[in-house]
Amino acid sequence: MSLKLHEVEVAFDTQVILKDISLEVARGEVFVLMGPSGHGKTTLLKTMAGLVTPRKGKVYINELDFATLGGAEAFEVLKKLGMLFQKNALFDSFTCGENVAFPLRETTDLSASEIQSKVDLFLEAVGISHAKHLFPDEISGGMQKRLGIARALALNPEIIFYDDPTAGLDPITSRKIVDLIKDLQKKNGSTVIAITNDVNRAYQMATRIALVVDQAIIITGTPEQTKKHPDPRVQQFIRGDLKGPLTDNLGT
Amino acid sequence: MMRGLRGFIQIIDEIGKALLFLSEIIKTLLFRPCRKSLVFEQIWHVTVESFATTAMAGFFVGAIMAVQFTVQMKEFGALGYLGGLATSGTFREVGPLLIAFMLSGKIGAFTSAELGTMRVTEQIDAIRCLGADPMQEIILPRFLGIIVSSFFLLFLGLLMSVFGGMFLGYSLAGVNPEEYVRHIPTIITAPSIATGLVKCFTFAVVLATICTQKGFYAVGGAKGVGKAVVSTAVTTMIAIVVMDWLTSFLGEVFLQMAIGS
Repeated sequence: MSLKLHEVEVAFDTQVILKDISLEVARGEVFVLMGPSGHGKTTLLKTMAGLVTPRKGKVYINELDFATLGGAEAFEVLKKLGMLFQKNALFDSFTCGENVAFPLRETTDLSASEIQSKVDLFLEAVGISHAKHLFPDEISGGMQKRLGIARALALNPEIIFYDDPTAGLDPITSRKIVDLIKDLQKKNGSTVIAITNDVNRAYQMATRIALVVDQAIIITGTPEQTKKHPDPRVQQFIRGDLKGPLTDNLGT
Repeated sequence: MMRGLRGFIQIIDEIGKALLFLSEIIKTLLFRPCRKSLVFEQIWHVTVESFATTAMAGFFVGAIMAVQFTVQMKEFGALGYLGGLATSGTFREVGPLLIAFMLSGKIGAFTSAELGTMRVTEQIDAIRCLGADPMQEIILPRFLGIIVSSFFLLFLGLLMSVFGGMFLGYSLAGVNPEEYVRHIPTIITAPSIATGLVKCFTFAVVLATICTQKGFYAVGGAKGVGKAVVSTAVTTMIAIVVMDWLTSFLGEVFLQMAIGS
């Protein structure tokens, strides 16, 4: 499944968040978005996932214009998308097992026993099968991420969006999460679009990287191309320099 | 002047948003109905949560109505009709209003906070991302649950108000409980029952629409959820009182028309 944005502009009331964004993500790619906080990475990801409606421009999923799809067609497309939210967005009144079972119960005709075996399979795949009967607030942050990934994968999506999957995790756990994302992507052949501000993790998983900055997107290419990218904003971001074009505007 | 105009526009805006949301709920109900088990779960939740408070409030409302009517009825020597009058008043006016206020304070605030929290923690976006429809999954069951429960609670409140009125009638004016109950069917007429049911339904729809809409569109973290809850409480109270006036007025108009024809 491929995804294309054409001259997209997103605004909330009078505040323009993203302007003139055009990009294309091919099937099977791992496309990573980086960029300073508050510059619109999550909004861009949600726009791609159909959760935010752009004020201008088009979002195409498999060549279909998302805005023109009717209710039932839109839900059919949404079933092929999976998303891990920044704060996981787990259903706190459901157990871990019920969280994974939810999309299967609501959108498929599987029997209860088939759903249970699928739940076991997904929890096993992310290594938290022992937490099946626990509630999300009874497990650690790393396990919550894994649970979020298991739930996002439950419908075998063709495009998976990860909003900062390693945020707030220690280096070892975040490495495990990145390895898990890569393994699952290889196994399922899905398209992955992820946000991370951890440059090393971005290099580890990305086939292509882009920087979201000042309402725009700079597609920097492969990890190797990104390291040598001539734009000073890209260089400042990946080096983490305090002085440079990204911070000059803030007067720091 | 400008402030007044802005306030007026804001009220119209609020009403418009609520009506649009209600039309979305009705569309979902007609074309994408939710699972019955979700609705039963909500009916059970709302009824159980409000059972004790409604019963207690109903008892005291019946008692208050009996106290109010006892003085006048005594003067006319018509104490035998105390039960009928007190119950009719409760069914037509005080009962539906009481149930609506009770539900607004308890279930309206709870629903708004629950949905608001789901919104700000992105759980509603997650439902949509998992191929399900949030209107169908979380809004419609709560909407229907509040409406159906309102009728259960109205009858519970009414029953308890009869006991409350009977107790006060007996202890204050010495009205025999058997006599208190005997005149209830003669005074409660079909139009009174219709008025009570229409009011109960109208208030429940108003409450269910406002609390689900405010929660569903909450923004801005914990503060946003707090604002949604406060806004739900204030808006529902005002809307219920306005709708009470409107239903009473329209009821009177229809009654006059029926008598005229």
